[in-house]
Amino acid sequence: MIALVRLRLTGFVQTGRALAPVLAGLLALGILYGGGGGARPADVYGVSAVVIFPVLAWQTKILLDVEPDVQRRLARVVVGPAREQAAGLLAAFVAGLAVVLVALVMPWPLGAVSLASGPEGRPALVGVALGLWAHLLALSAAVAVGALASRAVTRSAGYGAAVLAVGVVGVVVFGLSDSVAPWLVPPVMATARAVTRPVDPGTGLLFTGWAVLWVALALAGYARGRRNRA
Amino acid sequence: MRLDGVWLRYHRHGPWVLRQVDAAIGPGEVTVVLGRNGAGKSTLLQLAAGVLRPSRGRVVDRPATVGWVPERFPADQPFTVGAYLSAMGRVAGLPGPAADRAVGHWVERLGLTRFHDVRLPQLSKGTAQKVGLAQALLRPPGLLVLDEPWEGLDAAARELVPEMIGEVLAAGGAVLVSDHRGETVRLPGARQWSVADGAVTEATPSGGAAVAVVELAVPAAGLAAAVARLRADGHQILRVRDHAAPPAAGSPVPAPAEPPDLPSETPPGLPSTGASPGVSSSGASPGVSSSGASSGVPSDVGPAADGVLGEDLAGELPAAGAGRPGAATSEVGR
Repeated sequence: MIALVRLRLTGFVQTGRALAPVLAGLLALGILYGGGGGARPADVYGVSAVVIFPVLAWQTKILLDVEPDVQRRLARVVVGPAREQAAGLLAAFVAGLAVVLVALVMPWPLGAVSLASGPEGRPALVGVALGLWAHLLALSAAVAVGALASRAVTRSAGYGAAVLAVGVVGVVVFGLSDSVAPWLVPPVMATARAVTRPVDPGTGLLFTGWAVLWVALALAGYARGRRNRA
Repeated sequence: MRLDGVWLRYHRHGPWVLRQVDAAIGPGEVTVVLGRNGAGKSTLLQLAAGVLRPSRGRVVDRPATVGWVPERFPADQPFTVGAYLSAMGRVAGLPGPAADRAVGHWVERLGLTRFHDVRLPQLSKGTAQKVGLAQALLRPPGLLVLDEPWEGLDAAARELVPEMIGEVLAAGGAVLVSDHRGETVRLPGARQWSVADGAVTEATPSGGAAVAVVELAVPAAGLAAAVARLRADGHQILRVRDHAAPPAAGSPVPAPAEPPDLPSETPPGLPSTGASPGVSSSGASPGVSSSGASSGVPSDVGPAADGVLGEDLAGELPAAGAGRPGAATSEVGR
């Protein structure tokens, strides 16, 4: 499966399709961090996780769509349907990790983040860890949304774009603090708000469990959508 | 491997492409899947290979290693031939050195050596098809599924396909192959599944109705008349080609001094075996290949209407005066 992950990542990079989401991510992060300001790490990273969520979802869709349909079927024959699907998701997660790494590092040279203590004297390093956590939750949700929008499920560019747009907008809109149904979407917005305040272990576990459950349900839908769509 | 009461449709409310298919293929067996365009041949092959999942029923006892050669190789990928095949070898579970050895073997055997560093989108259709063949054989398959494997291949490579199939069979593998151009006459002894109206039926082999393939050269100017005459005599014209590129010339299989099923003396009026025209080698059994099946020729190249060339055949007729004007070669099934 690792060989298939590597093949797909190589294809993604060599076709040049990786360029568009990377540039979009850099642009968004540049606007976000460009003003400097020296905010606390958790505050900066909470916003950054929300900003790059659409980029990560878009990148996932592009990565899964780069491979020709027949090549995806060849991979399915060779490694089996479960591992073929898992390899695609893993490749998207790895590609997303690279973007997350850039998002975590970028504010430092731009002076957008400082080592100031967080609320109730929380060390800056804890703020960085919370930022990483927020990004990983956003990445997981983005991979699931991107997978649901991929051509293997939606079959057409139009439906794919619609699923991606609805998914991303839905995560933001239903994630607002006064949302009527925040549980409908992964806790990307909720996590961004939470990291600016003291986070107790219970809240951390709740949000992690919420995200894991949502991603699991979304990926089950992805697997079901691909049952008859090799 | 067995298809057990398999039904398939592509959409929930779509029409059934296959209905209640019960079929089995065992180790060491080769089965040819025949049927008209759109009958469901590729669908059946993809079910067997594991590309598609049955809407109803199940596919059981599929070998662990399956090689699938799609009808059209997906050449729209940014890799070179060598890099792609190496990566597919690793995906198939071969360790690095073993994958490289397998790639080297098949690249050389399929004549891809000079394309090793060429990117896939730059390949011709036939060369890309060879890459498709190579990727399916990197790891010896327990089941090899070939969807129109002869499409786009040159004469030498066409001869290689039966040879590769023979090797898979000798190693205990099973082979499923579809064909609508009559190339499967190169597979003597193959079982035949016919796909029509969503059903799959097996043609019963009959030794008494065995067919043989004879290649003969006729003057290009009299080609149409010769074809009509042969058909009138009850022969089936499998294909017509320009004599400039006889298939035996590039065959890696040395032709035996005397074909096993031919009379010891060449009939009067025909040059001897191995000479440019006349009776020449065809497929894995040079000279005359026999088939145990009664309908070794699919309907669309069979005796459609005497004196009238079918679409496929007409498409292959060399233009009068083109190439070598002296002769065109017909392959005749009897």
